[in-house]
Amino acid sequence: MEASPILDVRNLKVDIPLTDAVLHPVRGIDLTVARGETVAIVGESGCGKSLTALAIMGLLPRNARLTSERIALKGESLTSAGRKRWRQLRGDRIAMIFQDPMTALDPCYRIGDQMREILQQHRRVSNKEARQRSLELLGKVGIPSPEDRLSQFPHQLSGGLRQRVMIAMALLCEPELIIADEPTTALDVTIQAQILRLLRDIQRETGIGLVLITHDLGVVAGMADRIVVMYGGEVVEVGACDDVLARPLHPYTEGLMHSIPVPGETRQGQTLGFIPGVVPRQVGELTRCGFLERCPYAHAKCGAGPIALRDADVSDGDDRMMRCVLPADGSGRSPEAWVRDVEGA
Amino acid sequence: MLIYLLKRLLMTILVIAVTSVIAFLLVHLSGDPAAAMAGEGASPADIASVRETFGFDRPIVFQYLEWVGRILSGELGRSYYLRMDVSDILADHLPVTATLGVMALSFALLLSIPLGVAAALRPNTVIDRVALWLAVAGQALPSFLFALGLMYLFGVYLRVLPISGGTTWAHFIMPSVALGYYATPAIMRLTRSGMMDVLQSDHVRTARAYGLSSWRVVIRHGLRHAIVPVVSLAAVQLGFMLGGSIIIESIFSLKGIGYLAWESIQRADIEVIQAILLVIATAYAVLTLLADLLNAALDPRIRIS
Amino acid sequence: MTNIEQTTAPSVALSPGRMTLHRALRHVSFWVGGTIVLAIILAAILAPAITSHDPAIQDLAQRYIPPVWTEKGSWDHVLGTDNLGRDYFARLLYGARISLLIGFMTVLISGAIGTALGVCAGYFGGWADMIINFVITIRLTLPVVLVALVVVALVGSSLTLLVMVIGLLLWDRFAIVVRSATQQLAHREYITSAAAIGSSTWRILFKEILPNITGPLIVVASIELAHAVLLEASLSFLGLGVQPPQVSWGLMVAEAKSQLLFRPWMIAVPGAALVLLIFAINLVGDAIRDVTTPEGKA
Repeated sequence: MEASPILDVRNLKVDIPLTDAVLHPVRGIDLTVARGETVAIVGESGCGKSLTALAIMGLLPRNARLTSERIALKGESLTSAGRKRWRQLRGDRIAMIFQDPMTALDPCYRIGDQMREILQQHRRVSNKEARQRSLELLGKVGIPSPEDRLSQFPHQLSGGLRQRVMIAMALLCEPELIIADEPTTALDVTIQAQILRLLRDIQRETGIGLVLITHDLGVVAGMADRIVVMYGGEVVEVGACDDVLARPLHPYTEGLMHSIPVPGETRQGQTLGFIPGVVPRQVGELTRCGFLERCPYAHAKCGAGPIALRDADVSDGDDRMMRCVLPADGSGRSPEAWVRDVEGA
Repeated sequence: MLIYLLKRLLMTILVIAVTSVIAFLLVHLSGDPAAAMAGEGASPADIASVRETFGFDRPIVFQYLEWVGRILSGELGRSYYLRMDVSDILADHLPVTATLGVMALSFALLLSIPLGVAAALRPNTVIDRVALWLAVAGQALPSFLFALGLMYLFGVYLRVLPISGGTTWAHFIMPSVALGYYATPAIMRLTRSGMMDVLQSDHVRTARAYGLSSWRVVIRHGLRHAIVPVVSLAAVQLGFMLGGSIIIESIFSLKGIGYLAWESIQRADIEVIQAILLVIATAYAVLTLLADLLNAALDPRIRIS
Repeated sequence: MTNIEQTTAPSVALSPGRMTLHRALRHVSFWVGGTIVLAIILAAILAPAITSHDPAIQDLAQRYIPPVWTEKGSWDHVLGTDNLGRDYFARLLYGARISLLIGFMTVLISGAIGTALGVCAGYFGGWADMIINFVITIRLTLPVVLVALVVVALVGSSLTLLVMVIGLLLWDRFAIVVRSATQQLAHREYITSAAAIGSSTWRILFKEILPNITGPLIVVASIELAHAVLLEASLSFLGLGVQPPQVSWGLMVAEAKSQLLFRPWMIAVPGAALVLLIFAINLVGDAIRDVTTPEGKA
């Protein structure tokens, strides 16, 4: 890792005050992205991953409150930056790709106009230069006959092409960091693979930092360098991508893994694994493990107090962290161990 | 798009045709036109002679067809009272009402759209409340009262604006405000709810995520969308204003179509009344047609398909 | 209220705290509006008990007595007298009778027409919907004030005619709203299942559809009530509505029009009464709409 990461987030919290309580959808997230690194944030909907992304972009809804020890982009602290500075950075130094390319582009303007508008917001360029740059990027993201596309409206393009346009828009100002929020969820499976490959290739070629937000661990494999698993507004597991996929430590990650169909192994008609229950509403401070109700290995210890994120001392990788009382070696994940633990307690 | 256009055009023609029947029947079946024209205290013989002179004794279908035939050949009829061609009379009065309508609509739009946008940007704040209450209060104020109020304040008390006639631009200020304010609550509410919807939309989030300046986000990517239904409403409201101008014009003695209608109704000048009914209904039908076409033109998804 | 509406989540942008405050305010507006409307209705009914003056009796010796708050005013004529020496307060009270009577009667007529058309269009769809839509378009194309004036002028004004004409002109909003409300209902499961078990069409319309569209119906009724009162006032103001010796607020404004320069209160008093009534009706309507429709719709 380099000395100054592209993105450095410490203890990011988002609170949403309601009449009767305060929601804590994000409860203190640490996140670093190094140059040329792809970090995947994985979790179910409602776990706080999208709000984390919006918080990093400075795009939280008006009623949400953001607190953090540090949000820094390439060493520049943004914790006390004003709205104007945020706006200068958005689209220039940080860009975002959204889930639904059908609605993310403005239906009233031509592709070329939308790209030019962004470029001219951040750079002093003539219309001609903007057109040149747009053409170059549309070609780069693999859009056929880019000249024609510039004068087309979003509704004239397919979903896959629109997402490519979004990616081209994200690249316009050569940002340091791209946040892709479920970039393929709304697309067909075949298109999904193409878009992911495109994102990966571009990321490798340009050395951009990429934050990939998804609920689908299947998308992550082969894309990400590191995985951050979120549950209930907290990070529950961190580690190198291959390590986490090979041996998930947190029961939640394990549950997510079981719900991915594996080509060649999962047969038709076979029931995929699923995690029973839903993400609970994030009201009040946690006084115990947030995953307790849904965890198949729930211990008496799990209810004793909030669980800390700790280094998992495992042999197969560095920098692995987990938020669970279970031993990292996989022992303790059996009914016998559970009974032993209860009797011991 | 072409098929849509043709369908819409056909529909408009059909609407105007049916409206013409209603306008004709309304005038001919609401009592005896001959008696009304002959005036109070006319003898049965006078009435009979009027009836014969104007052909009211013939079958009504025949009369209608004859009327339509004349209109299609460009003749709107003749005023028995003014002894002039109806088309000439209308040509005298239409510009006044058109000026009034356009000024009233401009006033309404200039007041309600900024207010609606401001209310949508800051929902449930003071400005939103003020706008909402203005709308509720505005709807409760009859235009004739508002007109009299304006007249008292600016014409009688402050003496800064003329209260009657239509010779200068200043004469149109109060009538336009009085006519236009009635459309403001509806336009404001539509702008507000449209803006609130569009500000939540994905493409506005994209515009913000790419660092576009606030006014660009609000105007180019917000209002540009929210304005589309407002355009329709504005056209419809302009149509209503033409119909509603009768009250305002009679108060301010503006010699427009409304004033003419009011005078003609009192004189039972049925050729003029029929023509005015037809003109206003046609104007409304054409305006809604234009609104639909403009709507289609403003939305590239409809325009290019 | 239906289930769908109850389960609609509040929009994220508004904090629920403010939302509740807003709702509370709206409910306050319901009570304020309701109280005013009720007070005006009571004043109209109890007019003979409130004042001993007859609104139609002229007394040329008592012309233009100023209201009680001026120097020359007296408590005998609280609001003074008009150009024919008639007691202005009595005229105001009796005028409320006509305004309210015309308002309520026309809403009954226009409500019946509009609801019948709207339900048919919404429930049967297809050709019925097309034809009724066309009828609605035609109705909207005709200028209300002008048509009413023409008919009233040519037939000769009477209370019955006014009610009929206004009632026959103001049903469009009923039809439009009821049509879309019925369309939404017609495909709900309990309606289709009622049809499946063989309930007659009439039974479905009256037992299943009508009771479920009362919310929007009441809202439109309040709007149209205000609209009818306004239209009657406008017609009377133009001299073609309520005819003397009957009194209406619009007529009072019309008769006082020439006094704008010298006695503006003669316009202000009936005018204020009119504004107050319409404002109160709108308040009630807005409050009902607030309670019966999902959040966030302005």
